[in-house]
This record gives sequence, C-alpha cells and structure tokens, in this order.
Amino acid sequence: MSEKLITEEKRVFMTGNEVVAWAAVAAGAEIMYGYPITPQNEIMHYWTRLAPKYDRKFLQTEDELSAGFTTIGGVMAGRKSFTATAGPGNTLMQEPLSMAEAMRLPVVTVVQQRGGPSTATVIYSQQEVTLTTFGGNGEGMRVVYSTATHQELFDYTIKSFNVAWKYRFPTFVLGDGYQAKMRESLTLYDPEQKGVDFVPAERFVGKPGTPGVDREPGHYRNTYNVEEELYDVLQEHFADYKKMAEEVVEYDAFDTEDADVVVVSHGVVSRGAKEAVERMRKEGKKVGYFRPITLRPMPEKQLKEVADKAKKLLVVESAQGQFAKLIKDVIYGSTTEIVPLFKPGVGITTEEITAKTKEIL
Amino acid sequence: MELANQDHRVNLVDLDIVEPCYTLRPIKKQLSEQNINVIAWETKETIGLGEAGNTIKPAARWALMNEGDVVLDIGYGVEGSKTLNLIEGVDKEPNLKLYVVVNISRPMTSNVDDIIEYAKQLGIIHGLINNTHMGDETTPEIVQNGAKVVTEVAKALQIPVIATTAIRSVAKNIGNHDCMGNMVRPLDRYMPNTLW
Repeated sequence: MSEKLITEEKRVFMTGNEVVAWAAVAAGAEIMYGYPITPQNEIMHYWTRLAPKYDRKFLQTEDELSAGFTTIGGVMAGRKSFTATAGPGNTLMQEPLSMAEAMRLPVVTVVQQRGGPSTATVIYSQQEVTLTTFGGNGEGMRVVYSTATHQELFDYTIKSFNVAWKYRFPTFVLGDGYQAKMRESLTLYDPEQKGVDFVPAERFVGKPGTPGVDREPGHYRNTYNVEEELYDVLQEHFADYKKMAEEVVEYDAFDTEDADVVVVSHGVVSRGAKEAVERMRKEGKKVGYFRPITLRPMPEKQLKEVADKAKKLLVVESAQGQFAKLIKDVIYGSTTEIVPLFKPGVGITTEEITAKTKEIL
Repeated sequence: MELANQDHRVNLVDLDIVEPCYTLRPIKKQLSEQNINVIAWETKETIGLGEAGNTIKPAARWALMNEGDVVLDIGYGVEGSKTLNLIEGVDKEPNLKLYVVVNISRPMTSNVDDIIEYAKQLGIIHGLINNTHMGDETTPEIVQNGAKVVTEVAKALQIPVIATTAIRSVAKNIGNHDCMGNMVRPLDRYMPNTLW
C-alpha cells in the first residue's frame, strides 16, 4: 500500500483540474471512471498520474453513458467512485445519474461547465445549472456544490464523498472551464489531520450471508410495477432529502441587512460579485452579497429572508436565467424586484456588476 | 522580448496543442507591436478549440526556416515534447536547445526526485529554468527555495540552470543572481490576459 498523498499542510499553485484529482485522492476515492471531454480532461490526466502511486484505479469507458454506469457499478461494489464530465457529456450522463438518484447511490460527479447548447464552446459557462440540479427524469434528489475558488474545489470535492456516502444521494461539484484551467494558489491538507472523519464505503451487492436469512435483502430498484409503489418510495426519498437539506445547505453572504440591492450569484461569477459589493460598500452604497454554495438544496430560508428585506435582487450569471429560476422558485411570494444580468457562456467582470448595480440603485 | 530589444529578429511560435487554454492568441497583436514575429492562430481561424485535437498552424511547421532566433513554446509534459516531431528540420537543427521550465509550487514538480522523473520523460533536455512562483503571493523566499531545488536537479542531470525568473518587483528584491548564483531574469506578466 502506498504512502499518503498529502502529509502536511502546504501552500501550492495548481490548475483547478489538478486540484480535483488531488482532492479525490485525498478524499480516499478508489476509482475514477471517465470519458474525455474538455474542459475536464486534466482531472483524468492527473488522476491517472497519481493513481498508480497511491494504489487507485482508472477505467476509461467508450462514452459518458458508460462512464456514469460504471461509476454506479463501482459504488455498488462498495468502492468510493467518481467521474468527471462537461457539456454534452453531462447531458449523456443524466441517464445513469437518474438511476443513481432512483437507487440512492453515492455517486460523485465533477462537472466543469462549458458553453451550450450542444457542443458550443469548450471554454466556459454556467449553463449546466439546470442539467446538474434537475437533470434526468427525476426530481432533483441531488446535492450540488457550486465552487468559486481552487480552495473550494479542493474542500468540496473532499466533502462530496462524505456527503454522498452519508446521505446516499448523488453529489456534484459544479465547477466551470475557467476554474478548470486557471492556476491559483491554495492550501492542500490531509483531511484526516483536519479532523474529517471519512464515512466508510459499503457494498450494495455481494454482501456476505443469505438475503432474507442472515441479513436484510438489498432492494436497489430503478423500476416498479405499479404507480403506487413508485409513489410510496419517492415519498421516503423526499422526506430523507428534506431532512438532509437542513444539514448540508451552505451559503455565503454579507452586508445584506440594510442593502437596497443584493447581488446574487454563484460559482466563479461570485468572485466578481464579491469584489464589486466590497468596493461599492466602501463608497457608502447600500449593497449586499448573497451566494448559495449549494444549488441543490438551495438555502431557501436564508435567501427568502434576504429577498424580503432588499428592494431589488440583481441576479448575475453566465447563463440565460438558469440560476435565476432556482431563486424565483425559492423566494416565491416575495414582491422584491429581480433584475437580471445574464451573459450566457461569457465571463462577467467586477466592473460590469458594479455598473449594473449602480444603474439600479 | 529581451532578444527583440537587442534588435534580434525573434520568431515566437505557439506550439501548445496539448490543452491550449493559455495561448499567445490574445496577445499576438501586442507582441507583434514589440517587433516579435508571432506564429500562432488567430482565434477566428480556429474551430472547436481543444475539442477533438488541435492542428498546428502550417507556418509553425516550417518555423525553423525563419531567419533569426526561433522560440518554440510547447505544451507541458511528454505530449508537449512530442509536438517537436511535427517541426520540419528539428532533427537537423544544431542550435536547438530544449529548456524545461520548473515551478516547485506545483505539487507534481515540488521536489528533486519528482522533477528528475518528470524531466527524464521528456527526452534530451539542455537546461532548466527556475520559474518557481505562487501567482500574486510570490515572495523572494518562494523563488529562492525553487532555486535551491532546481539547482540540485541540474547538478543531478548535469545540465545548467539557464536562469531564475520572477516578476519584476520580486526579482528586484533578489538581485541579479539568486542564492545559488543563477542569473535572475525579471518578468512582466502577460499570461493572466491569455486564458483562452
């Protein structure tokens, strides 16, 4: 057995994709299944460089459908498994991920968003929000972390494995092409030294003993005979999800108490939003900042409170309202005006956010 | 740029076809204005960047036929060094020097053993450049630590350290030579503007 990847806390300089590979090793992921697609390729590249040294495995499949289903297979065999994809690959992966949702399998998926629809650009967008939060033919029974920095890519990739195995819902790290390719500094650490207890993996199939005699049989189903049977199972899932939501919801906010305009953003765009709000506050402008870190489940209560106090919400995203839809759903009933700053497939600068905020103040 | 300032004829060739997200394309015009012949695609000339492999610009294939100095910017790792095989006359060019740029803040090349392993995969190399930095957090100490490690690697591989590089403000604090006696080259950063 190989030594640990990270033995002491260390400041380093890496690309986002490299960070994800390191985080997955640090989190105890045992196998990655994947199919190449830009801009996530280097997650696979770096994983395959690290894997032989640290006794991990990799399987390249023939497409994303297979990558998703083999990840499911790995999980069912009791291995901490993950995959990574983007854009059209994420579209294909919704079939296996729906199955993971149906069977409550702790599949971890890293998405590095690229432009859409279809092949579009390999570069960047926030256009995979709808697909990642509510994709497939399910009910969005997923956990989705939208990261903004390389440190968060490291932290939330590690966290995803624990959340997935604890609550048994498919868990996503939602990055983007900018984060994937950008280089910046972060602190690497051994999660166990930081007091993180790894939730142990467990076999779903091939357990010892006779089902029904020595142990409860495992019923991991994605198909039902009648409507009522499905309905009853889903009610249990909804109840579990609701209970989990309170424990996993995360957000970041400041200066919202007296703000006339609250800038609401997520992921890499929130870096620009944060800087814009900080600058305008220094100028004495009554602006606030709110960023959901979990897009599923959303920080409903907190966002509703913010919306009820503010005069306007400026919703900023690199998509044509996919994130805004999540917000509208959450704050339903609030009469606060929502002002959009949508730039699908394009980055948004601090200056643009500042200008738009000042325009509507 | 240093060569161009000395009135050398300089050809800068973008040969990064591994994952060309940081490329010379966005600063092509800016560099051309500084008397550098930049051989790189224009963004509008390319289709589906990085999606299904990348083609090199035909002019890049014949880059060594240009008059003056030719600087080839190749992609990282083994795949990057293989790109050289696409260049006409590369096996017959007596003046070709392959320098490996090392940043020990990158975990894959953070210590002597890892850098040696990495360098050996690349085939014949002629020198190392210590480019240890931490982006905006770079301090003289970070660069000097890199100098120590890279110099040790150079000794083990029996090749020279061509230079230590650092952003101008940090380079000023270090002086003309780093703690290992390597020449310090100050850098002006252009690449933050070049993502895609």
